[in-house]
Amino acid sequence: MGTTVSIKKVVALVSLAATLVAGCGNTTTTSTTAPGGSAAPSGEQPAASSTQPKKGGTITIGLKDEPDQLDIQKTGMAVANQIAGNLGGGLVTQDPETLEFKPYLAESWTVSEDGKTWSFVIRSGVKFQDGSPLTAKSFADTYQRALNPETAAKVAGSNLSEVASVEAPDDKTLVLKLKQPFAPLLQYLSDPGWLQPLSMEAIKKAGDKYGRQPVGVGPWKFESWENGQSITFVRNEDFTWADPIAKNQGPVYPDKLIYKFINENQTMLAALESGSIDIASKIDAKDVKKYKDNPKYEVKEMLRNGLGLFIMMNTRKPVFQQLEVRQALNKAINKEAIMKAVIQGEGVVAYGPLPPSLFGYDEAVKDYGYAYKVDEAKALLEKAGYQKNGQGIYEKDGKPLTLEILAQTGTWAQAAQLIQAMLKDIGVEVKIVTLEWGALVDTATKGNFDMTLMGYTLNDPDVLYLFLHSSQIANGLNFSAVHDDKLDGLLVKGRTTVDSAARKEVYKEIQKYVVEQAWWVPLYTEKQFNIVRKPVEGVRMHPLRGLMYQDSWVNQ
Amino acid sequence: MRQFILQRLGSGLIVLLGISIFSFALIHLIPGDPIRIMLGENATAEQVTALREQLGLNQPLLTQYVHYVSNVLQGDLGTSFKTGRPVLTEIMERFPATVKLAASGMLLAILIGITMGILAARFKDTLLDFSAMSLATLGVSIPSFWLGILLIMLFTVKLGWFPIAGGTGLMDLFLPAVTLGVLASTVISRLTRAGMVEVLSFDYIRTARAKGLGEGAVLFIHAFRNAMIPVVTIVGLQIASLLGGTVIIERVFDWPGLGSLAISAIASRDFPLVQGIILFIGVIFVLINILVDVLYSVIDPRIEVGKMKEGT
Repeated sequence: MGTTVSIKKVVALVSLAATLVAGCGNTTTTSTTAPGGSAAPSGEQPAASSTQPKKGGTITIGLKDEPDQLDIQKTGMAVANQIAGNLGGGLVTQDPETLEFKPYLAESWTVSEDGKTWSFVIRSGVKFQDGSPLTAKSFADTYQRALNPETAAKVAGSNLSEVASVEAPDDKTLVLKLKQPFAPLLQYLSDPGWLQPLSMEAIKKAGDKYGRQPVGVGPWKFESWENGQSITFVRNEDFTWADPIAKNQGPVYPDKLIYKFINENQTMLAALESGSIDIASKIDAKDVKKYKDNPKYEVKEMLRNGLGLFIMMNTRKPVFQQLEVRQALNKAINKEAIMKAVIQGEGVVAYGPLPPSLFGYDEAVKDYGYAYKVDEAKALLEKAGYQKNGQGIYEKDGKPLTLEILAQTGTWAQAAQLIQAMLKDIGVEVKIVTLEWGALVDTATKGNFDMTLMGYTLNDPDVLYLFLHSSQIANGLNFSAVHDDKLDGLLVKGRTTVDSAARKEVYKEIQKYVVEQAWWVPLYTEKQFNIVRKPVEGVRMHPLRGLMYQDSWVNQ
Repeated sequence: MRQFILQRLGSGLIVLLGISIFSFALIHLIPGDPIRIMLGENATAEQVTALREQLGLNQPLLTQYVHYVSNVLQGDLGTSFKTGRPVLTEIMERFPATVKLAASGMLLAILIGITMGILAARFKDTLLDFSAMSLATLGVSIPSFWLGILLIMLFTVKLGWFPIAGGTGLMDLFLPAVTLGVLASTVISRLTRAGMVEVLSFDYIRTARAKGLGEGAVLFIHAFRNAMIPVVTIVGLQIASLLGGTVIIERVFDWPGLGSLAISAIASRDFPLVQGIILFIGVIFVLINILVDVLYSVIDPRIEVGKMKEGT
């Protein structure tokens, strides 16, 4: 016997992809999970224009990274998901305002009492772009393909990692059986990219070329891929099953949607200003100002779904096994100043491991998080047994407190220098080691560091499992090598608690405990900017998926 | 001549072998794990292990290298880690764009460089000479990305004459080719001037003028022919290095050539692709060098290519 999930009951955030963000300029691990909007998206109203949306025209979007392929199960790149979202849709969807889950490709669903059996009733009348009908079997085949080790599915595989079996007893019914209750699953299923249904027929027909000629059920059909330049989609004329969160329930208005790949920030802006592209994505705070004051442009902003920047301390090193030292560093750093300098104040200061844009964030962190208090920082170091030497540097047993910090080339250098200066002020010497992203992750994984800067984007607080659970030390993201039994228990509880109110309480507790233990120094969460150029209208923001084009049109 | 070419091809092969060892070692030595970069960030330990095995990255380096070389000798450059497509396909898709850019840039550079150089030599120590050489000095010191961005700001953003990030059409080609041409012309013009100043003082030039030949014919045919050797050398070298990926210019102008491919391949630790690009460029270098040597003997019949000294 299952209980029907009421929309009111489930309010959790969707996770698009459990991928790290690595600043800019790297091709693979960077997750620009589709930028979403802040909890109260601004610019939701289409620009004041009395005209009705009309058909025709092209919308061109500039992106910094090119995907490796568009077989969504075989890629690990967030940018591939961002693009492939146009081809697909999820079993459920999530309201951009209330963040409630609503039926989409499944018209209803139930979850068993023990949280382990999820049954979906699949909507009728939906067709793949190659003409084959969408049935429960399509979903079952799709998910079985992701779970099949031979597929070597990346994000799609790990999103379904808690799924034990998938069955389609008839055309309308899809049943997922879980190994254990897994709270983030509904959010994963609501993503139009990673877990969208795939046409097995198209996959069979295309063979190993499928990654460059994908087929889905979505509003946009894949047309062409100019390697190194662009990917083009055309309108799917048969599309009458739009996501209920969109105003336009029929086919999209523009004839074409083009993604252009432009690595360089300056080149991207020049392309926007000269009209080569209509939308520039991932624009830095420092460049945004002039577009905000110009009526020709619309700046869409959102808070990143994750911490933009934080310091991880490596607890393999004896110095960081002392709680007082970790807390001292937390109090010695002026987050406000770093945020003003690095991102022109376009963001919020972070006091804990979760940003305000994520489920489970607790306001109280502002009260119990560490404020900038130099005297207290020094007192803590002295309590830990450190004394100032002749050069004004703290030392213990004749060893000066000199630490290395890893910073990604370019993007994090400025923050690293400020941290260096602030710690110097209290008597701690910092050496900056700049590495490009691949090298930084490698070094951090091996544990050959004292401190490292880091950032993440994930739409579910389960990210803390990836970063702090002891099972994630060897191969995961637990670079700090935190091994804490109490925390491990809480993190597992957070994953397996399906009831949303109860789950919130768990993360409240996790947040407080992680702050107390001070393994990290949270710094800030930044706003992310996309700039839309006239005559493009009706580009909407989803706080978790980023820009949505179902209601967009070209006013010409 | 034929023997000379065969000889050079032989030594070219040895150079390529050296390049392949060096690039292989280098790329495996820089920190950064392609597997982690590829899998995104929530890969399980099993996924990491499986992929490492699948790509053969768990074998000893020497085994990997031997395997790689034997494949290359059979004409197989391997498949890209990132896209899973053959390396040669990836390279050949991008190569035409780089050739297009390098060739037009070089053509402009030769036209500008040789004209400026000859005129500066002819009107040595005049204002013309001084300004031409000052410009050349300036050109050598200007960073290419700066000039590129400047041109974009002016011609694309302000005037809207030329597009950016549009593709590889003629209009798209103009700005990057000019940037490349202006910067590459500086060395050519200086070398041309130096050579011409020397040649113009020779007796035979006076004879030619005395015969009543036009100044144009004297300068461009009689004199320049003998001043050309160092210019040809430098042009050859420049062509080779331009084909090796006009990396910075391609990035600034979003030009989809080998240069931008190389950058993204390195960032994602796409070993086979990086090695493939390096090897490919190596082959081009070797071929162009041979071609330049052969050209010498065409320009100046007194030179026998078989007896070239090293370092020319």
